[in-house]
Amino acid sequence: MKSSGPLSTSWTAYLCLLSVLCSLFTPVVLVKENDFKKCHQSGFCRRNRAYADHALAQSSWQAPYKIFSAEGAAAVSLKDGQFEATILKTVDEQGSTVNLPLTVSFLKSGTARVTVDEEKRKSQSIELRHDSKARKERYNEAEKWAIVGGLTPDTDAKITHEDKAGVTVQYGPEGAFEAVIKFEPFAIDFKRDGTTQIQFNDRGLMNMEHWRAKVDKPEPEKKEGEEGQEGEEKKAEEEPKKEEVPAHLDESTWWDETFGGNIDTKPRGPESVALDITFPGYEHVYGIPEHAGPLSLKETRGGEGNYEEPYRLYNADVFEYVLDSPMTLYGAIPFMQAQRKDSTVGVFWLNGAETWIDVTKAKGSKNPLNRNSKASTNTHWISESGIMDVFVFLGPTPKDISKNYAELTGTTALPAEFSLGYHQCRWNYVSDDDVKEVDRKMDKFNIPYDVIWLDIEYTHEKKYFTWDPDMFKDPISMGQQLDDHGRKLVTIIDPHIKNVDNYPVISDMKSKGLAVKNKDANDFDGWCWPGSSMWIDAFNPAAIKWWTSLFKYDYFKGTMENTYIWNDMNEPSVFNGPEVTMPKDNLHHGNWEHRDVHNINGMTFHNATWEALVSRKKGEMRRPFVLTRSFFAGSQRLGAMWTGDNQASWDHLGAAVPMILAQGIAGFPFSGADVGGFFGNPEIELQTRWYQAGAFYPFFRGHAHIDARRREPYMAAEPHRSIITAALRLRYSLMPSWYTAFFHANQDGSPIIRPMYWTHPSEESGFAVDDQFFVGSTGLLVKPIVEKDKFDTEVYIPDDENYYDYFTYNKVSTHKGKSVSVSAPIETIPILMRGGHIFPRRDIPSRSTQLMKFDDYTLVVVIGKDGSAKGELYVDDGDSFEFEKGQFLHRAFEFKQLLLTSEAASKPSAEGQAEGEWMKQFRDVSFDKVVLVGAPSSWEGKKEVPVTSGGETHKVRLDFYKAEGGRAAFAVLGRLGVRMGADWEVDFA
Amino acid sequence: MRQSRAFVLLGTAAAHSGLVAAGSLPRGVGPEFVKFYEFKDTFTCIGHPSISIPASKVNDNSCDCPDGSDEPGTAANALPGFWCANEGHIGAYVPFMYVNDGVCDYQLCCDGSDEYRGIGGVKCENRCATIGKEWRRVEKERKENLERANKKRRTMAKESRELRRRVEAKITTLQEEIKGLEFKRDELKQKYDEVERSERGKVVKTEGTGKLGVLVGLARNRVNELRDVLRVVMGQRDDLKGKVEELQGILAAFKEEYNPNFNDEGVKKAVRAWEDYAAKLVEAPAETLHEDDIQEVLKEDTDSNGINWKEYEEGEITDTDILYSLEAYLPGPVRDFVHDKLNFIRIWLIQNGILADNPTSSGESRLVIAAREAYQAVESEISTKERDLSSQQEDLQKDYGADDIFRYLKDKCVSTDAGEYNYELCWLSRTSQKSKKGHGHTTMGNFERIDWEESDEEERHDGKGLGRGKRMVMRYENGQGCWNGPNRRTDVWLACAETEELWRIAEQEKCVYRMEVGTPAACEEAVEPGNVREKDEL
Repeated sequence: MKSSGPLSTSWTAYLCLLSVLCSLFTPVVLVKENDFKKCHQSGFCRRNRAYADHALAQSSWQAPYKIFSAEGAAAVSLKDGQFEATILKTVDEQGSTVNLPLTVSFLKSGTARVTVDEEKRKSQSIELRHDSKARKERYNEAEKWAIVGGLTPDTDAKITHEDKAGVTVQYGPEGAFEAVIKFEPFAIDFKRDGTTQIQFNDRGLMNMEHWRAKVDKPEPEKKEGEEGQEGEEKKAEEEPKKEEVPAHLDESTWWDETFGGNIDTKPRGPESVALDITFPGYEHVYGIPEHAGPLSLKETRGGEGNYEEPYRLYNADVFEYVLDSPMTLYGAIPFMQAQRKDSTVGVFWLNGAETWIDVTKAKGSKNPLNRNSKASTNTHWISESGIMDVFVFLGPTPKDISKNYAELTGTTALPAEFSLGYHQCRWNYVSDDDVKEVDRKMDKFNIPYDVIWLDIEYTHEKKYFTWDPDMFKDPISMGQQLDDHGRKLVTIIDPHIKNVDNYPVISDMKSKGLAVKNKDANDFDGWCWPGSSMWIDAFNPAAIKWWTSLFKYDYFKGTMENTYIWNDMNEPSVFNGPEVTMPKDNLHHGNWEHRDVHNINGMTFHNATWEALVSRKKGEMRRPFVLTRSFFAGSQRLGAMWTGDNQASWDHLGAAVPMILAQGIAGFPFSGADVGGFFGNPEIELQTRWYQAGAFYPFFRGHAHIDARRREPYMAAEPHRSIITAALRLRYSLMPSWYTAFFHANQDGSPIIRPMYWTHPSEESGFAVDDQFFVGSTGLLVKPIVEKDKFDTEVYIPDDENYYDYFTYNKVSTHKGKSVSVSAPIETIPILMRGGHIFPRRDIPSRSTQLMKFDDYTLVVVIGKDGSAKGELYVDDGDSFEFEKGQFLHRAFEFKQLLLTSEAASKPSAEGQAEGEWMKQFRDVSFDKVVLVGAPSSWEGKKEVPVTSGGETHKVRLDFYKAEGGRAAFAVLGRLGVRMGADWEVDFA
Repeated sequence: MRQSRAFVLLGTAAAHSGLVAAGSLPRGVGPEFVKFYEFKDTFTCIGHPSISIPASKVNDNSCDCPDGSDEPGTAANALPGFWCANEGHIGAYVPFMYVNDGVCDYQLCCDGSDEYRGIGGVKCENRCATIGKEWRRVEKERKENLERANKKRRTMAKESRELRRRVEAKITTLQEEIKGLEFKRDELKQKYDEVERSERGKVVKTEGTGKLGVLVGLARNRVNELRDVLRVVMGQRDDLKGKVEELQGILAAFKEEYNPNFNDEGVKKAVRAWEDYAAKLVEAPAETLHEDDIQEVLKEDTDSNGINWKEYEEGEITDTDILYSLEAYLPGPVRDFVHDKLNFIRIWLIQNGILADNPTSSGESRLVIAAREAYQAVESEISTKERDLSSQQEDLQKDYGADDIFRYLKDKCVSTDAGEYNYELCWLSRTSQKSKKGHGHTTMGNFERIDWEESDEEERHDGKGLGRGKRMVMRYENGQGCWNGPNRRTDVWLACAETEELWRIAEQEKCVYRMEVGTPAACEEAVEPGNVREKDEL
């Protein structure tokens, strides 16, 4: 560690200057990207990439990490599913080492967890620069926010092999998993059924930057905190003397760093954690949202068609984001899964700091046991700070991965049912009258919707919890009008609190000390919508408690039971901060640096709002609805997200589905993109296609920028108004299926809309398909049109089942693994029904979800190749938590051997419990008709069939329509008239 | 209040309730369909007379007819909706979508029969008695208000007729006056020609000294011409100066208020450019003419100011140096300009043989001048009157709406406060917005034309709303441009009311405004848009 401090500062300054100059001359399109760091502008990313380049260039690279061994035998232990050891990192040529405590936990679910800390920091025996008040430890509280369960140890885990080179631990369901822990260099291979699936440090890129003191070159009267500025001035004189330092030894980014004129004081110096994770034999990796790019992740180390930059996770308010890019967006879920034929595995890198992930693919496998594989995927995970904490999932199916991940981070909250309806948003509806007028217009044109939204302009001078006294004189009457038809209002509440006199929220927050602090431990003041603002520190339990108090009906006046909340700007967006966010040396509750928790920040705010909405008055417990822009692993427990500020362009429409699919497989499926595109004015064809696509987003909201023209659905001229209305009606008619899909997500973490690989993990040809999807388990295969003037499309078919057109019942001639052409005139959404599924609908059009609550159901039975079909329907009151006490109905339908049956799919744990209010009201809701597509021709001439329920049988009319032209045979069963909650069967024999 | 507001809209539905024999009909059948449902054992589908179904299948919640006409109580496509008899009030159709959805749609169905299934335990009591009573009360009041407003309009129309009559009278007067003046002008022209002819001979005779007189006359005309030009130029300059100041104000405010961290390179570039521009402004203050100097030049020449032309016309100064001494009374900055021009005139005069190189010249005789001036005075009076006439004639042609009703309102204004602005509508001229924080006012549009559009709003309890039906919409377009956007425009929707009042103003999207205005002028729309157009063609 030679003294290169001054040199390095100047070098940084030079780079910064260079980047500033570059940004002045590069074309305008790139400017947005230049507001955000590239890997080489982020010190730790640059160091770790250089480290990787150096290591991979050596023919015999030996990673300097080994498991501590005394007298030849390693001091390791496995007890109650927990393996413990110490990794020694060799830090110099003399062989000095630092201790890195290692824990490998084997969990009952079959998940393994690898944690590495740093002893010296853990014991707080380090010194901080700049008199920093920050914590000395590596951040170890990410789990406090992200993990809610699934940590029960696998006490059956046992060491099956042990020698000087390492140990093998057998664990998981039926002992099918193994972790081969190698001592020198430290590495772990994870195997399933004897085959290696995931490798840690196989390429030796593990890097845990241990603490070191800054050695300053003696320099006349240099004061701390001024290095940045001085450096810039010195640049000119020192540059010529600069020696060429190999990139992996470059220490110039160890200390203070500058970007965009902001200095990061980095009081703890370099502290990054990095690890290479290899998926031998796996050609596809997915996940790590949020990025605007394909579902199957691209390589990031250059080459044709690849990215030059690693995937970045650093939640940021990216204004007008670019598509097909690994650049960071608003949220971060560091969860990745890898896919090969018949096998899915995954890793969850639990770290809240800025993280970069390099992805490369190697031809052929290094693993001799995996001869069939075509390629392997190498990943390199790099985080700025915190402990190393990685979860390993060995599958083998996508469903297992989703389930295991959900066990840890929680499942999608069962949403308030209305929130699956259509949301009408605009920045801004200008007054309470405006809102009422839009509400009325929607009714006038018979366009169903559930929620109307208010963006920031409703507030009095951007002070949250207040109303503009001129434009929103009577918010209650507005709320009541909406309530008349079961509709809701969503108002925006952001985490920045206007720093102004005579505003109780800010004075309260300041006096209670609940704001985020700057590096000097004073309240941090930054710039956002209201101008000078402070940010609530939602990491602080006291802040959550206080925040909760602000939402009480008697505090946030003008809001009612049908008011819900939108959390925006929670990355947090700080207009004058580095990369439009907070300085990394800001301090949060417990004196953790913002650096450590940045990616978690948005979730904590979302969480505080969720807490506030659960109970806005004493004794009341209702499902909150909170939309968030920023998120982290675990945010799925709190509400919905949207893909931020997109644009009214065809390519943004096209980008939305892969992004939503990525959210779904990363455990946060309640997601959508702004329909119509936020910026700009969509042409009518684009808007129409966007509504057709949006009708299949789990979160379905139309939104528009303040400078955009009005574009509520009724504004469209015919025929587009009717086409858009039809798309909305379709959404509403399928609401029971959507709600059932959310129920499944709530049960096992499965995605709401599902990519081909997830539903068909054996069909390799579908692994990269990301422009079509199945809706829950309905068998509905949807491919939205996302191109201009496109009136037919190719739908990829992943199997040998029968497929029928949703609208015409035409049988589509398909071949497994091939695409089929489907016509899609402007009024049509390409939707196919896969054989073998039964899905519920509610066919009576209505004004809102709430007004459909007690409507009868229609069942669609799509008979499969083997003559059978299955499906489910879940329903509850859609609003309270009574379902947890058994107040729900969950039916399983099966069509088999000409018998259609309905029975309870799951029953309340407390059997025989009294029916609650909703259950009583719901009692008479029944099945109206049943449509059977692909009905056997033998039914021709059949006029009636017997329906049996509760021991009684009655006849119901059957209309059979024989196959004609391309249309398959189908039958319609007249009014069934059996209660939804009852067991029944229909005999078609 | 919400409920009572809705009663009014039922007013358009015909009162059929008396015709329905309650009880004997299937639920939901409206009076005009009664005949189809007066059956005994079998029902015949309305749209498919070949299909008959047992009476028991009617309203059994399952469609048997292809057009659903067997289900008037749930979802018959063949019917306009679910009929609520609303005894004691006015019967109405409720969209099938609203039937049995758990909401009592009292605004359409005061008897609550739309929720006959009691979905989710909902019970809709019959409120027709109270609702009907209240509706009749409100309706009566509304009619009375309407009566008053209509009366007001008749007064307005009368006033407008009077105004129109005045214009017509004015036109007649002007036409007569012009005729008289034209006669006079012709006379004077003749006289002038004669005088000129006779005087020219004299001028020719006294060639030696006459040339300067001609020159002085020419120079004087020229100077007057230049003065006029200067006046116009000054006017334009003041206009431009105003605009520049306004733009600078906008940009300065923009620089202050823009969000420097919004990463919009376009905005940043604009701010930088503005800063450079502002810096230049400070560095190099432009040479400016003193306002006083210009005013001095603009003053008509008299004995005591500028050049005393009489002196030259009357005296016998023969020195063309006078041309140069003209400059003496000019302020420095103007001098060069005038010098050039005069020099140019002189050369032109010499070249054309009007002015001898040799400074001997004389002017027009006073007789000629007097004759010409008399003639010119009448000529200019005629053109003034003609202008006046044509503007009056144009005014007659202009669309003032039916009965010329807006003639009465022309140039009157109404205004209201909304948010941080005061908004003003000036009839047939412009709409504008004035910030209460005082940044001057912004034009939101200039009157363009009157259109008709369909309004479809609920009647408001206070009558201050557009309601339903064809409404006049005044288009005010091409207002001040929006930053980064189009020119502002305003649609002014009119509804009948007793007093002029700007009820509401909304900026529904950036720079597109909608005003809702009550005025008696919008009452009694006896004249349909078609007729209005016919009128235009006249």
